[in-house]
Amino acid sequence: MQAGKLVLAFAAVVVVAAAMQGQSPFAPKVTGPLSQRVVAYQIDARYLPEKHVVEATETLIYHNLTGKPLDHFPFHLYLNAFQPNSTWVREAHRDGNFRTSTFHRGWDTRRNGSNDVISLEVVGMGDLTKQIRFLSPDDGNPDDKTVMEVALPRPVEPGQDITFKIKFRATFPEVVARTGYRRTFLLAGQWFPKVGVFWNGSWNCHQFHAMTEFFADFGTYDVKITLPKDYIIGATGVQTSDADNGNGTKTVAFHAEDVHDFAWSADPNFKVLESQFNGSVGDVKIRLLSYDSHRSSWQRYLDVMQGTMQRFDEWYGPYPYAQITVVDPPHGAMEAGGMEYPTFITGDTTWWAPKGQKLFPETVTEHEFGHQYWYGMVATNEFESAWLDEGINSYTEAKVMDSLFGKNTSVLNWMGAQMGNSALQRMSYIGVAETDPLSRPSYQDMSIGSYSGITYGKTATMLLTLEAVVGQETLQKALHAYFMKFRFSHPTQEDLLRTVNEVAGQDLGWYWQQAVYGTQVLDYNVRRADSARVDWANKEAPDEKKGETLYQTTILLQRLGDFVFPVVAEIKFDNGETIREKWDGQDRWKRYVYLKKASVLSVEIDPDHQVKMDRNYLNNSIATEPQRGATQKIATYWLICTQFFAQMLSWLA
Amino acid sequence: MTLETTMADDNKGLVAAGASLVWRRQRILWWVFAVNFILSALGTAPTRNQLQEVLGHSLAGQPLTKGFDLGMFFELVRVPESNLFASHGASLHAGILFFLFMLFVTGGILTVYREDRKLQTGEFFGASGAFFWRFVRLALFSLIPFVFLGLAFWGVNRLSGYIGDRSVSAQAGFYIFLAGALLITLLALFVRLWFDIAQVRAVVQDEHKMWPNLWKALGISWRNVAALFRVYLCISGVAWVTLAVGLFIWAKLPPTAAPVTFVLLEFIIVMQLLTRLWQRASSVTWYKRHAAMFPSDSVDCTTPAPVELVEPLPDSAERGSTQEAEVEPPWNGSDAPPQ
Repeated sequence: MQAGKLVLAFAAVVVVAAAMQGQSPFAPKVTGPLSQRVVAYQIDARYLPEKHVVEATETLIYHNLTGKPLDHFPFHLYLNAFQPNSTWVREAHRDGNFRTSTFHRGWDTRRNGSNDVISLEVVGMGDLTKQIRFLSPDDGNPDDKTVMEVALPRPVEPGQDITFKIKFRATFPEVVARTGYRRTFLLAGQWFPKVGVFWNGSWNCHQFHAMTEFFADFGTYDVKITLPKDYIIGATGVQTSDADNGNGTKTVAFHAEDVHDFAWSADPNFKVLESQFNGSVGDVKIRLLSYDSHRSSWQRYLDVMQGTMQRFDEWYGPYPYAQITVVDPPHGAMEAGGMEYPTFITGDTTWWAPKGQKLFPETVTEHEFGHQYWYGMVATNEFESAWLDEGINSYTEAKVMDSLFGKNTSVLNWMGAQMGNSALQRMSYIGVAETDPLSRPSYQDMSIGSYSGITYGKTATMLLTLEAVVGQETLQKALHAYFMKFRFSHPTQEDLLRTVNEVAGQDLGWYWQQAVYGTQVLDYNVRRADSARVDWANKEAPDEKKGETLYQTTILLQRLGDFVFPVVAEIKFDNGETIREKWDGQDRWKRYVYLKKASVLSVEIDPDHQVKMDRNYLNNSIATEPQRGATQKIATYWLICTQFFAQMLSWLA
Repeated sequence: MTLETTMADDNKGLVAAGASLVWRRQRILWWVFAVNFILSALGTAPTRNQLQEVLGHSLAGQPLTKGFDLGMFFELVRVPESNLFASHGASLHAGILFFLFMLFVTGGILTVYREDRKLQTGEFFGASGAFFWRFVRLALFSLIPFVFLGLAFWGVNRLSGYIGDRSVSAQAGFYIFLAGALLITLLALFVRLWFDIAQVRAVVQDEHKMWPNLWKALGISWRNVAALFRVYLCISGVAWVTLAVGLFIWAKLPPTAAPVTFVLLEFIIVMQLLTRLWQRASSVTWYKRHAAMFPSDSVDCTTPAPVELVEPLPDSAERGSTQEAEVEPPWNGSDAPPQ
């Protein structure tokens, strides 16, 4: 009997241990804490689908690890951005925003969203609801209510904790800018009052801008969500319970550690697919929430997740969490697509997406997973240095996608046309090359085109070009070192640049000054390439004969842009000889003269096509023989299109 | 035999008869193709020159010859030195000129098909000029139904968006759009058929008043919609299938096969022009077969003018029949006169 009790007790311990293991937010070989946990959120939320509203109570325990007494706390109320006079809407209306198509027909009230704080209490200090005031630290807009501040009656001393109890209501807009509802679908992002970050000696809590994302402290999240029981839900972290309330609703609990945000998504029409990635720190569950309509993309999602996770694990470091949730938004909810939250991303696809194009779902999914590293774990300040997240992530996107789908076909390989991801990054950059430096806070960029072209495209192109200086492997090692050193912290751009310098073993300040802090444009040009007989003045000289006549070949290279960069020029002669010259690019031009019994065939700057920052590839070479192939091909297509258009028009005759 | 049975018999082989007529008068096809090609080549010339300027001695275009590197193509579009789309206006003008050319020569083409013989240049352009302003008026009238169809298309687009927006299925909106677009395409084909019949009627019966002609043509087209529409649909099917198969083959061709690609794409264009002429030839053939049923408004060519009976001379017993034969029928071809 006693033995029986022991066996039962042992079995109970095993079951509990197994259950605990199943609820761990980390991969099997990882134990926390991984970060300096500043915040602990407990949120009890109830979702009312018919109103698209969440009513919730939030308990926030803030650990004052700043070393200073804190007498006021700012909070983000991001959903208040979706009101006509907010800074977000003003900026999006002024500069454009790629996550909304709302404004060409005026403000649509379906896009209204809000975070309403019903009450705010600090344990031990009482109800401070009346102490709440709204701030606009960036632009002074009195109508912007995306940042609130509460003053405390007495400061929280260093090392002490403070507990906030906040009752709030989140009203979601129809999907816009990474959050909202569409039919029965909901993506709940930026939905709860979130405290700012005490960083570099002061609070850092920017307003919500059209061209920036987020910044928050690491901590733990325990979130319970009550919603109709036919809803399928996915969220940051891991699910710890699912209780039927017996009234047509259920309450699902999630737990996450060492993350700095919490998002969730729900829809009764979700289909759940699961897969497993066997990483260096153990198995990670891939949970895909998609729709029947997107059945053709299911395997594509899972395949690209496997390939991406494998490469990130191998190149940059391990993914330490137990799960990654991938939400595939429904049709018409594109603005909810392509977004990242810790351990939770949204992809994007269409039911008709041809396999030959890799933008949807492959590139989007890869990109959002990459954010788990450059935003989720290396938690840079996206308001002030968005390029450290979006830009590095665009570079790693190019590397991963090229590795998975081929260097020249990683975006498109369909109907005879090809395009690689590096070219995609370069395309977005060259149109806005001289507008904004990377080091400028991206919400101050010139326009949405400049924001995307600089933050995403320029960073990726700049790092791809850097490979020509330090080598691809060195740069990969540098990013690995940067990730391992600064994960679960808030590094700055100087931290990145210093790390690359250290790993490369050289001071790359000359490059950073131009590429990161400056707006210099890189453009090299072959101005002249010709061969003339040396004996041109001798009227009795014999006829030209290949291999016997002596020529003077003159090559003139020119730096058109103000970005100084060392380049290689390849000169080919008609006797098969090839010469490579290195030019430091310091002067505005460089002349090379050769005396050979051969004439020049072609000159090409950057023959290996490594200098992706060169804004104009067309002037990088001269061939002495006419090059007709490309002209004929494009002109033929143009001709056919014109003929087709003409005959279509004549149908009306 | 009933009237319907007779007409059904008359419609037999209409598609083949139309094709045969286009084949016999294939000079028209080649001339139309030549004009289409020359105008388009002129429209393409600024773009070609611009490309030659930047790529003529540059190695940068090589990714476009060995494949079709979209990145390099976008480079050509974006870099100010090439600015590829800056000269698209010339292509637009070429298209408009070809439209006007076709509007002008349609009278001549229909006359050739009506008479089924080679016209002298002067005759051809004379016929073209004779009908030009009438066809301009018809083209302007055709804007009315086409505007309605455009509005219907806009409505279908909105409806499919509205329903698709509310449906869980991502495909629902698309299928509604597809069904609507198909219906509108068929309606557009009918409108084209109607105006083709109006043009044929104007040529065969030398109608001058286009507005009444248009309504009569509508009546004719509507009453014979089954036969005529089947012919038009069948020929359009040939055009669509040729286009689809041609593009499929084009996608499979190696990127360096420039001459073959050029020939294939030109073949597609020829087929598009041919099928349009085929529709016109078929409509002329059909009309000639049934002209007796459709009296003219302007000149009554289908009803023989009263012939004064003359006492036959004893030595010319066949004179009366000779006189009857001299009455010019409205057709001049090899097909049997309408009964």
